[in-house]
This record gives sequence, structure tokens and C-alpha cells, in this order.
Amino acid sequence: MDRFLDPRVLAGISSLDLLAKTVVDSFVAGLHRSTDFGFSQEFTEYRAYTPGDDLRHVDWNLYARTERCYLKRYRGETNTQLTILLDASNSMQYTSGPPTKMDYARYIAASLFYLAIRNQRDAAGLIVFDDQVREYIRPSTRPGQLSRLFSGLERAEARAQTDFSKPLTHFENFLHRRGMVLVISDFYEQPQTIVDHVAPLRYRGNEVILFHVLDPEEIRPALAGSAILVDLETERRIEVIPEYAKTTYRAKVDRHIEELRSRARAAGIDYQLLVTSQPLDAALREYLSLRKAGN
Amino acid sequence: MGFLAPWFLGGLAALGVPVFVHLLRRHTATPRPVGSLMFFERGTQSSTRHRRLRYRLLFVLRSALLLLVVLAFANPYLRRAAADKNGRLLLVVLDNSFSMRAGTRFADAKGQALALLRAKLPGQRAQILALGGQVRILTPPMTDRAQLQAALEGVEPGDGHASFGELGRVIRAMAETVEGPMELDLFSDMQRTAVPANFADMLLPGNVALQLHPIAAGAAPPNWTVESVDAPSVLSDPKDPRRSRVEAVVAGFGTPAATKTVALVVDGKVTATRKVDVPAGGRATVEFRPLAVGYGFHRCELRLEGGDSFAADDRSVFAVRRSDPERVLFVHNAGEMRSSLYFRSALEAATPGSFALQSVGAEEASDLDPAKFAFVVLSDAVSLPSIFEHALERYVAKGGNVLIALGTAAAHRPRIPLWDGGVKDAHDYVRAGGAATVGQVDFSYPALEQAQPGHDNGGWGEVKVFYATVPDPGPARVAARLADGTPLVLDRQLGEGHVVLLASGLENLTNDLPLHPVFVAFVDGAARYLAGSERLGGARLVDSFVPLRSVQPSGAIASIEVIDPDGRRPLSLREARTAQSLRLERAGFYQIRFANGRDTVIGVNPDRRESDLEPMAKDLGQLWSGGVGSPAAETAGAVPNTVKYRPLSLWWYVMLLALLVALLETSLSSGYLGTEREEV
Repeated sequence: MDRFLDPRVLAGISSLDLLAKTVVDSFVAGLHRSTDFGFSQEFTEYRAYTPGDDLRHVDWNLYARTERCYLKRYRGETNTQLTILLDASNSMQYTSGPPTKMDYARYIAASLFYLAIRNQRDAAGLIVFDDQVREYIRPSTRPGQLSRLFSGLERAEARAQTDFSKPLTHFENFLHRRGMVLVISDFYEQPQTIVDHVAPLRYRGNEVILFHVLDPEEIRPALAGSAILVDLETERRIEVIPEYAKTTYRAKVDRHIEELRSRARAAGIDYQLLVTSQPLDAALREYLSLRKAGN
Repeated sequence: MGFLAPWFLGGLAALGVPVFVHLLRRHTATPRPVGSLMFFERGTQSSTRHRRLRYRLLFVLRSALLLLVVLAFANPYLRRAAADKNGRLLLVVLDNSFSMRAGTRFADAKGQALALLRAKLPGQRAQILALGGQVRILTPPMTDRAQLQAALEGVEPGDGHASFGELGRVIRAMAETVEGPMELDLFSDMQRTAVPANFADMLLPGNVALQLHPIAAGAAPPNWTVESVDAPSVLSDPKDPRRSRVEAVVAGFGTPAATKTVALVVDGKVTATRKVDVPAGGRATVEFRPLAVGYGFHRCELRLEGGDSFAADDRSVFAVRRSDPERVLFVHNAGEMRSSLYFRSALEAATPGSFALQSVGAEEASDLDPAKFAFVVLSDAVSLPSIFEHALERYVAKGGNVLIALGTAAAHRPRIPLWDGGVKDAHDYVRAGGAATVGQVDFSYPALEQAQPGHDNGGWGEVKVFYATVPDPGPARVAARLADGTPLVLDRQLGEGHVVLLASGLENLTNDLPLHPVFVAFVDGAARYLAGSERLGGARLVDSFVPLRSVQPSGAIASIEVIDPDGRRPLSLREARTAQSLRLERAGFYQIRFANGRDTVIGVNPDRRESDLEPMAKDLGQLWSGGVGSPAAETAGAVPNTVKYRPLSLWWYVMLLALLVALLETSLSSGYLGTEREEV
């Protein structure tokens, strides 16, 4: 089933609904045990009865066998709210081979929406932004929410430049309930600036995750010769020599990723680097681990 | 250089491929989108240059590889001078005769010869010869330029007299063994005196092309020299006015009239000077008298003061030995005194003070030791005491010399002392009604030597012989014969000595020789020859020979010691024990100690023909180098002036170079690929 998590396989699936179902089913089937997460209340432990305890929770069967009163304790089930902030700037269009960073981000978002709504019964919402907020779907568990989210993802087209300040300020205005906030972007911005804009979300009790989506070519570019590079967002052109791409550029990207990771951790924000050539399970696993921690 | 398959050069069009790949395609870079230029920077100039340099190196290697492959198919070749038998042999002849010491002639000639060698084609064979007193072949034909140059550098100026006739003879001999054409380059001052009397002697074979390189241009510079010196080699009495004198001839070549100062130097000290007026281009005689020297050998020199363009020939050396008169033993037949009288008179007239004659009868000679005498004369003394005869035999075997005159007594004896073979017959010409005359005289024989004998057979034509004994000549050298062929003067070598036999007597009964002036000359020559002073003469010319031994030594061998003008011993130990003659190669004083213990000092002078610096006529030089009139040239045809070449294919070398370039290109390009694989 792992092959259904391969982005190259997923690129051949046009329907986000089907894609999300495929990913999540494959991912859940790949988990050998899911004791931590159930669809109803689950038994946790026995505790000796003390006066005053609710008798409804006494395990009478056990009493019949042992003539001792024990209370059965159950793990409580809570609902959380998942909000995904999807960067739809032009730079997300870049690809060295299918899928594009934008599509990869869509796959992640769709899979997480599916997992949250169908499996976790969580409320899920979507904000698509570039330098403005392009799409906003409030978190909800209402019927049809998943379809609305998928439709919002379908409409999200990459354009303009990235600007974190406006969408995050806007998002803060709508955020009234604590939950999980996922920011999916390529984060072509100074790490300090990104953290400065994202950190306020954390102060409201949200769990914040940065999904840093990059193409493999953006981490390890290979230039056979001198090339003219065009910035997808600014249309700026410069001539770059292979030696630079092989040495200085890689060091800069590595330093950027490491700095973003360290600054995010310092601000209590989780960080996950997602390379478009890698399967999607890393993103799902990261989400579920935070979901568990949140309970 | 050329190509054996030039049509393959069309493949050079393939050079456009690397040009397109490296120089054209790289300018058509298509823009490439990236997510952000946040981490990109424009390439710095230095790194771009570095990249371009590396790519250019790759471009050059690829272009060179293509070029070399195309060249290999086109099969290039070099035109090399043929080194086989069709190639011309280069003969470099450097004149190192005495005249080349004038000015910078020798250095100039050697410089020009070295320049010719440097310009020699690599494959051309060459040979080095030195033209001095004799032609020396210094190297075999070879192509090694370094060895040829070393041989040429090793040639030093000599003291000999060059002869183009000798050069022609050597070249003709070489042409008989060397196949193919030859080019002879002669670097010389082209002296007129080097031209032989007969032009045919200097003609070269038809396959030899002569190139003359005259060193001295223009008119010959004026030059004075001491042309000849007449001085006694042995002096008994310094007060003898006839003997104690030195007479020299000062000659000028192309000179104006001038007064020259001549100094007599004895053992390094100037003992006398004379001024002499030398006419323009003429000669003048100067005389020093007496020659006051002590006993022993003296190294004398006549020096021309004032200097001129050729200073090396301004001195002439000679050696003088002062000694007491040498004793001569004259043994005559009992009762016959005339011969002693005539011989004594002639000897005193010819060599006054040099010899003291002791005359004894044959029967009185028993107690005499011949070794105490310079030479011995047996005048019709065919009957000797046996003890004396044995002493004489030992004396001759050790190098002593004996003159035997056969009178009428010889005919009555079956044998002649010291002369194997005995008497065959006797001619009494008086009974035949007349007298015999001397018909044939060998004037090169030392005892009869005359430089320019007159029409009367050098004086011998007047001599009448009335009675002559006919000895068995055996291996003897016949120096003179009578008109009827009867040997008159014979010379036989016994051991290291000589026996000279006169087939007639020394008195005036058997001939009238003692009454003729030629008798004095004969006695003089015979005395010098028999006494050995002929070979111990005080002055010689360079390249003359000194006899060291008479025969090949046998039994106990005594060494001969020779010290040359430089103070070195020119003879090796083996040569000192076996050499029969010594060639006097250097000017100066040679000191020789003979096997019999006698010493001598010989002054050696260069041939004075070398002092005449006048070059040979131009037309003569053209005639010589043009080979006109050469019979060989007419038969063999003219030597072509074009040098023959043979192609040397470079295919192998070009392919080897292409392989090397391919390896370099592979290494360089794989370096790029390896870097990319590691980074991806």
C-alpha cells in the first residue's frame, strides 16, 4: 500500500477526494496498531472502588468473579480544530518533475482534511493565501465540509508573491477556538520574519506546524553549465554558474532550513521539511503525533 | 614537410564540432525558472574565468585530438637529407699549418668551420681533416655533430707546411674507398706556397665538390723572416775564422726596404746584434763572427727585432756543439802512404779542426780499439790482424762505421774484411786501353749528397778509374757506378753500423779521384756520414725525420729518450725501444739521447715557405674548385648541387600524440562528470 503514498503515483489521481482517501487508507492500513486513537470511548485501566464513586462504572463481571469492586476507567475522546494555511504564491509552481510543490501541498492538505474529518471527527478549515487571503473556509464538522475544503483546494491557484503578515493577521481575527494550525509553504522568507508572524498563533494555545515544501532541485540544484535563472515570483533574471549552485547555494539553503527549524522549535512551533519526491506519510505522521500530544 | 595523403585534410572540417559545442552552444542558454532567487547570486568574475579556462582547456584538447587524428590520416612527413650512400659526405678540412698562426687566421678558420658544422643537416655524414705538415684524418664519416665539433675544437695550430698536393693525394685515396659524392670545404689562408709545382697533384676526383673558404682576404701583409741560417753544428775551435761564424739570410715578403736588427741569442742571452738593410721584397745576408761558445750543446737563436704582421717566424733556432776534434783511424796497407796523405789533406780541407786523423799500418792495428774513433778507414787493408778484425766487427755491430777502399791488393785476397761475399772480379782498365768513368751517381746518398749537381755529373764525370775491384754487392746499396756498370760506391748495413765500400783506391794509382775537387766533397760527406754528425745536425725543418736506429733492434734493447720543445716525451715506452725514426712535428729544440749513449740537440724550424703569406691566384682557386680539366670529372660527371632528401613519415608520432591527448581529454572530462555524480 506504500506505493499509494508516492507523490508520483498520486499525481495521476485527479480527484482530491479519491486521492485523500487513498492516502489516508494506505497510511492507516500501514499502522499496525492504533490503540491510542479510537472511534469511541476505550478502556484504559482498573481502579479500586472508593466510596463516592459512580456505581455505573463498576465492573460487575469482575466483581462476580473476584467479589472485589473495581472501576473501569475510559479514555475520553475530544475533538480538535484543524486549520491549514496554504501558501499559493507563484514560487509554489516550481517543479523539477511532477508533482509541483503546489500539488504536493494540495495532496497533504486533502489527506489531512480527510483524516481529520472522516477519521478524527475534527473540525477542519482552510486559508489560501499569497500576499492576500485568497480563500477562507471556516473550520466546521458540518456535513459537506470535506467537499467544500476539497473544492477550495481545487480553486487554489498559485499566483503573486508570498506575504505572511496579511493572511496571518487576518487569520488571528477569525481564530476563536484553540486547535491545530498547519502552515504549508516553501517559506522563501527570512526565518526570523516567518517565526515572528507565525508565533502569535501559538500564544492562543494552538499547536502550530510548519510544513516546509521544497523540490529536490531547490535543495540540490544541478546545473550542467552556466544558466539564466528566472524568479517565478519577481520575474528577475540572473546568470548563475554551476560552481556556485554546487557550493554556496547548497550551503545557503541548508543554513536557511536549519535556521528555520531551530527558530521554530525555539518558538514552540513544530517544523517538518517535506521534499516533493518523498511520500506523504511523513506529513500525516507528524499531524497525528501532534494530535495525540494535544489530547 | 608535406603530406602523403593530403585529401584526408578535409577532415579538418570536423573541428567545427568542438567549436560549436564549446564556443557557440554555450551562448544559447535558455532561461530556467526557479522558485526563488533568494539564495542565488550572480557568478563572480574570477570563478567565471576559472570555469572558462577549464572549458577552454577541454576545448583545446578536443580540437587537438581531432586535428591530430586528421593529421595522422593525412600521413605527414619530413624531408630529411638522405643519410644513405646517396647522401653527400661533407669533408671539413681545417688548415693548421704554420702560416695560420698569423693574426687571427686560425681562430677565424675554426669559427667558420664550426658554423658550417652547425648548419649541417642532421642526417648528413661528415668527416674532419686537418691540413698541416701532413693531412690528418681526425674522424671517420659520421653524423654525430657533437663528436665532429669536438674533433674540430681539438685541432691546434701546428708548425708544418701545408701542401694542397698532399691534400689532393689523400682525397683521391679516400675517394677510392668512399662511395657517393663528397663535398670538401677547405678553410685555409690559401697560401701560394702550398700549391704544388704540378697542378695535377692537387686535382680532386670528379665526385668531390670543392668549396674554398679563404680566411685572409686582400693583399698579403708585409712579413720579414730569418729565411736560413748557416752555422756549424759541431765547433772545435771558436777562433777558427772559417768555421766559427753564423750566416743568416733575412728575407722580406711584400715588404718595403727597411733596416732590420738581427740578434744572436745563445742559451737565452743576446750575444750580438747586427743591422741589415733589407731591400723591398728582397733578401739580405747578415753574419755573426766569431761564434764564441763553451764546450757542450748550445741552444742558439737568430731573432729578428722590431716585429711584423707574423711574429712567429721572426726567429730561427739552431744548436751548436763545441767539442774537441774527433779521431779518425786510417789503416793502410803496408808500404802504401799516398792514400793517407790524400785523405788527410782532403779531410782537413773539408772539415778543418773537426777530425784528427791517425794513420797506422795494417799490421800495427792489433792493439787499437776502434770504439775510440769516430770512424775507421781501411785503405786497401784487406789483410788485418784477426783480433783487430773482430774488434772492428763488434764496433760496426754497435753502430760504428767503416770506409773500405779497395786497391790492387784486394784482388789477391778471396775476401774483404767486414764484407760478406768477397771479390768477384777486378777490372784493370789500363790494360784495356783506357780508363773508366763514373757513369751513375746517387746524389741523395749522404756521402755523395749534392744539392744541385752540375752537368759534369757533379764533378764525378771528370774522374777516371784505372783499376776497380768488383765485389759481390749482395744486399748493399749501390750509390755510384762506373760507366760499364761496375759498382763504385756501395753501402751495407751490419748490425747498427754501416760499411761503405769504395771499389777503387784512395791513392792516385787506381784512379785520379784524389786529384779532383770532388774528392774533398766526397771525403767531407763520407766523414760526416760515417761520424754520425749528419744525423746529429744542429738545425732541421718541421716534419723532417731523424733516424734513431739503423735496424730493428735485437737482443738487449736500449731505449731512446726524446724530449720535445714542450719538455714532454713524445715517444711511448714501447716506441722508445722500437722506433727507428722520429718525426719532428714542432718547432723548437729537440733533445735526443741515442741508444749508444750519444746526445744531441736539434733546432727545428718551420718551413720558411710558410712565411710567404701571399695567397694563391684567384683564377687558380677557381680552376681548382671548378674541377676544370679533371679527368675524373670528365668521366664521372659533375656532382649535382641539389641535396637528396627522403621522406620521414611522422604517422606513428602523430598517433602517439593523439593517444596522449585522448587520455588527457578523458581524464579532464571524467573529472567533471565525477564531480557531478558526487554532488547529485
